[in-house]
Amino acid sequence: MHIFVVEDEPIIRRELKVLLENALYQVTAPDGFSDVLAQIMESRPDLVLLDVNLPGVSGFDICTRIREETEVPVIFLTSRTDSMDELTGILKGGDDYITKPYQAPLLLARIGAVLKRTRGGKYKEATRLTRRGVTLDISGCSLSFQGQCTELTKNEMKLLHILFLHSGEFVSRMDLVEYLWENQIFIDDNTLSVHVARIREKLKNIGVNDLIETKRGMGYRV
Amino acid sequence: MTVKDFLRDRFLMMLLHLVCMCLLTVFLRLTGYGMAAAVLILIFWGLILTVWMCAAYVQRRGYFREVEEILEKVDQRYLLGELLPDSVRLEDRLYREIICRSNKSVIERIRQIEETQKEYKEYIESWVHEVKSPITSISLICANGQKKRSERRTSAEVKEAFQTIGLENQRLENYVDMVLYYARSEQVWKDYLIQETDLEGIVYEALEKNKLLMIQNQVRAEVNVKERAYTDRKWIGFILNQMFLNSVKYKGNQPVFHIYTERKKEGVLLILEDNGVGILPEELSRIFEKGFTGSNGRNYGRSTGMGLYLCRKLCDKLGIGLRAESEYGGGTRMILEFPISNYISRNQRAQNLK
Repeated sequence: MHIFVVEDEPIIRRELKVLLENALYQVTAPDGFSDVLAQIMESRPDLVLLDVNLPGVSGFDICTRIREETEVPVIFLTSRTDSMDELTGILKGGDDYITKPYQAPLLLARIGAVLKRTRGGKYKEATRLTRRGVTLDISGCSLSFQGQCTELTKNEMKLLHILFLHSGEFVSRMDLVEYLWENQIFIDDNTLSVHVARIREKLKNIGVNDLIETKRGMGYRV
Repeated sequence: MTVKDFLRDRFLMMLLHLVCMCLLTVFLRLTGYGMAAAVLILIFWGLILTVWMCAAYVQRRGYFREVEEILEKVDQRYLLGELLPDSVRLEDRLYREIICRSNKSVIERIRQIEETQKEYKEYIESWVHEVKSPITSISLICANGQKKRSERRTSAEVKEAFQTIGLENQRLENYVDMVLYYARSEQVWKDYLIQETDLEGIVYEALEKNKLLMIQNQVRAEVNVKERAYTDRKWIGFILNQMFLNSVKYKGNQPVFHIYTERKKEGVLLILEDNGVGILPEELSRIFEKGFTGSNGRNYGRSTGMGLYLCRKLCDKLGIGLRAESEYGGGTRMILEFPISNYISRNQRAQNLK
């Protein structure tokens, strides 16, 4: 996926680039804006992140001109929090409007949402993950091992999902709780232990004994 | 203006008439006229004087009543000078001129102050927008600094440092936001977008925004928000943010937040309940006052007394009811009431019938 960033603040541009590259996007972020439109047309991105206040030009005008040429999704990034500006952004053909200071997870989530909407779910996530013979069925919210199956709650599912995705490495408790908060599960450290204990119980019931490893001060590993 | 006041005002003139009457009587007696003629003249004189005084009283009373009436109707009373009724009397005209001149300087002064205030406000707003750039940079740098965990092993201290900076940065952001909303709170109508809003989304956003702070404070939150309301997303987000920050600041042991909605006939209630330290009953009625810190604010430090005041102010402007219930030592419940307008609910009923 290719994202084109139009942002005049050098540090924000640099950090945005790092952030998006860490999230496995390909990023183009030019530092001059005189022929931004031509550059966008040339690099044919999947998404444009557009700052509203640029030296000399307004992001709204750029968006209007982009819309004349192509249907590429545009997300406005701005420090203006005016409702009128937001409305203008949407009317000019923007797909989303994010105000500074944005938080990294939120920004990534909104980018993901716009891409998913405009690409029509072309990049579907895997719905089944298998580690050491144990299969996590994400859409069915269940766990199976050698023909035996057990149901999971939403919280347990999310927890196992991140552990499965990072299988082989320890995920710290802090990272786990943070990830759960980003997924609308607002629990504390103690509750995390309770959830892990319950998952272990369920695993035991279907005959798996040591899938989740605990390491003091490091976290959990699948 | 009573008759007594009026007569007192004309006392000198009446005295003059009386003296003249006496002098005339003496003169008539000296020049040989009879007493009867003198009395007759005095009676007519008195009669004419009385009629004249009555007419003058009625005319004056009418004039001032008219002025009072104009004053009642006008909302900017300093403009009275321009609106005074025409009068044949020189005095009235002179006073009118004087009032006009005096008011003109008042108006000029008001304009001047308004102008200064507007400039100040605009500067604050543009300053807030500018200061958000560096805040964004810092927040991105912190996010990137923490995320490096998988590729390169960042040491725990570095990560923690980034986290601390990120948290402080968020506090900074909140203070900056408060300034912005304070500057704007007078003119809410300039900046809102009322639409059907899912309250759940706003609650999630506010919780996620403060997730680092909340996780650090071992907060657990249970959200059961199903209702939707017609309101402005951004302002409600700001209000919820202030309340969550308060709940964290005045948390108790094992903090749990319950956020839920209730549907009432006249509106939707959004309730934020915590099990924190609570508010003293005698202070409960004052928590929304500007600058009120109370015993909690003093004991837990760093209270400006602005957060809840702003919440109340914004709620008033948005037409949302806001009240607090609390049990000292047992927690606080903040209740936001979103009214359902008759028009909308009538339409919905019509749609349901279809």
